[in-house]
Amino acid sequence: MDKNKEATPDISAFLASAVHDMKNSIGILINFLETNLTELGPDAQSKATPMLYEVKRVNDNLVQMLAIYKIGNQFYPFDLTENSIDDFVREIVEQNKTLLDYSGITLDVDLDEGLAWYFDYELISGVISHALNNATHYTKDKLLLSVKEEGGELVIRVEDNGSGYPSSVLEAGDAVSKGVDFASGSTGLGLYFSSMVAKLHKNCGKTGGIFLENGGNLGGSCFILRLP
Amino acid sequence: MYLPSDSTSLFAGKSFLIIDDFPGMRSMLREMLRTFGTKNIDTVTNGKEAIASLEKNKYDVVLCDYNLGSGKNGQHILEEAKYRGLIGLATAWIIITAEKTADLVFGAAEYMPDDYIIKPVNEATMKSRLEKVLARKEMLVDIERAASEKDYGLTIALCDKALASSKTNTTELQRIKTSTLLTMGRYDRAQQEFEQILAKRDIPWAKTGLGKAAFYKGEHARAQQLFREVINENPAYLEAHDWLAKSYEASGELEEAQRALVRCTELSPNSVIRQKNLGELAHKRGDLETAENAFRKTIKLGQFSIHKTPVAYLGLAKICSENDNPAEALQILKETCKEFESAETSLHAKVVEGMVYSKSGDLANAGKISAEVAELVKADDGHRSSSVMLEAAQMFLATGNKEAAEDIARTIIKNNHENAELLAQVNDLYSQAGMSDQGEELVRKSRQEVIAINDRGVVLAKEGKLDEAIRLLSDARTLLPNNKRIMINLSNMAVMSMRKNGKNGDMMLMVNECLRQVAKLDPQDKWCAQLQIALDALPA
Repeated sequence: MDKNKEATPDISAFLASAVHDMKNSIGILINFLETNLTELGPDAQSKATPMLYEVKRVNDNLVQMLAIYKIGNQFYPFDLTENSIDDFVREIVEQNKTLLDYSGITLDVDLDEGLAWYFDYELISGVISHALNNATHYTKDKLLLSVKEEGGELVIRVEDNGSGYPSSVLEAGDAVSKGVDFASGSTGLGLYFSSMVAKLHKNCGKTGGIFLENGGNLGGSCFILRLP
Repeated sequence: MYLPSDSTSLFAGKSFLIIDDFPGMRSMLREMLRTFGTKNIDTVTNGKEAIASLEKNKYDVVLCDYNLGSGKNGQHILEEAKYRGLIGLATAWIIITAEKTADLVFGAAEYMPDDYIIKPVNEATMKSRLEKVLARKEMLVDIERAASEKDYGLTIALCDKALASSKTNTTELQRIKTSTLLTMGRYDRAQQEFEQILAKRDIPWAKTGLGKAAFYKGEHARAQQLFREVINENPAYLEAHDWLAKSYEASGELEEAQRALVRCTELSPNSVIRQKNLGELAHKRGDLETAENAFRKTIKLGQFSIHKTPVAYLGLAKICSENDNPAEALQILKETCKEFESAETSLHAKVVEGMVYSKSGDLANAGKISAEVAELVKADDGHRSSSVMLEAAQMFLATGNKEAAEDIARTIIKNNHENAELLAQVNDLYSQAGMSDQGEELVRKSRQEVIAINDRGVVLAKEGKLDEAIRLLSDARTLLPNNKRIMINLSNMAVMSMRKNGKNGDMMLMVNECLRQVAKLDPQDKWCAQLQIALDALPA
């Protein structure tokens, strides 16, 4: 046996334990900000609110990198379960409520009540939270989250009334939905993650996908996730 | 529309245990629970404290961090609590973890947490999950009770009722129902259910279930095909890998089986059972290096787990002996006896010790141990596992103790006269010792004796002489307490007799003993379930 093999550090073990530590810290930070923003004066509050967005971004990135790493290495426990859309949306809305309230943004929800769909809860929750967090940053003052069944597919839309995606992002989104390589950078990570997650969801020969558009119901950007 | 629901009343009366090694997390979780209206909250920081708390108190909800530093992890604590009955069926166990792992999501059903929450934990998620889990526990508690009491008919009836009346928890109900059908040996029924589910959607657990039904029906190629399909779609789906390995092993494709098991241990690096299985299979194949590694890992991982097993210690001792390292082998055997205080394990360790001495040429010690084991086996009540007995026979032959070898071989054969694999192993032992003629003769004669008794019993029963038949087989059972065929025939006759003459306390007791023993010897025996149904159908 090659005894020297033991000496090589196992990067995945480091990665996992580092993520574990970071997630503890981020959890406490988010919780601290959410519970203590109210106690600040109006001026300090408006300065501190964007910090919540930043912390959530760090968390999103961690979640995305870890998932991409694990899916790529065939280690991600893809957990296809039937989920109540009411519960799913309620959880997501409540998670983002504090940031939206402090940022003065109204979020409207439009969904088919009583709907249930098969997907991996954590992954889809990761995709939609990320889309909402993004939209919160770029919108003027309104967001719309809609979840509908359309032609045998679940369609989740995150729309805003901001100035829409810049053309570079639309192009990247277009490339992703066609399965070609696309722009790198932080837009790239989120898009890559979302598209990878969508494609993991398959049923009866159909595969999920993401689509970026401008316009929609609120006139701004529109993130669309379709799941078979 | 999405105002947080008022559930203070739901939480106010419930008791909670928080298990987390990180002070910041403990206080955050406690504050959250207080906000929800909970007053009764205990917090502990590690596995030892958690077990102590669980021994003293009953909790409605346990919130347990997965990674607790050194010592037991959250899964270990959950398994120990369930195994030792420290938590009831109504207790909700939620694991909080930084990352989703195959073990957590696809682990063994009997040791799964009720839910897991991926960090970062926030108030909204925590509240919504707790509400959902508590509602589900309440709905499932009767079904889980029926299942844990092995009342399979009731389990299925309750599942059907719940499936018909509500749209929530459908998947969970279907899973309980189908796995109960498999346990009952109703493979065709289970197969139908799985096919109905799959007609609507390709779901890995249902396809894996279909594979299991095929496996139990002996259709190994079909089972393997199904498990491979699941894995293609879902590479980390642990259960399909486990079953693929099992199915390859059953069809004699040991190399493929080992490859599948290696993949299992990669996906589930902390599983004691999977490492043990890999060790045993690799050892069987003669891949000593893999076996040694796997057994060492089993021992290390078993340190904090209820799945800690003497198999790994004894296996490692044998491998050390095979690698001409008798000193370490003997050292491990000493440890084995210290770690596991059971008569069965200490006998098994002694058998291996005899082999180690014999292999290393220490004939004086080998002879001494052989004589000691012969005494122990003679005083035996006949309830020892046949694999240990088989090894003892091998050791007796190796140490020249022919008489003891023959006694024990006869007991093995008579208790297992229909188990072709085991009979072949007895033959192998004798031919390896250069005594194949004696071996064959022994197997033939001993088998014939049991068959004769059984046949006579069956003839008597057919002639309507049920009492006589029952007496005959019940005497035979006293001598051969592990013979499945005798127990099953005896139970069938007792059921027939009770159908005619009404229920009888002594007979009920005897049939139940037989069923328990058969189930212990062969958990997959299909007669047990059928006899149980016949027994339940007897008029009161």
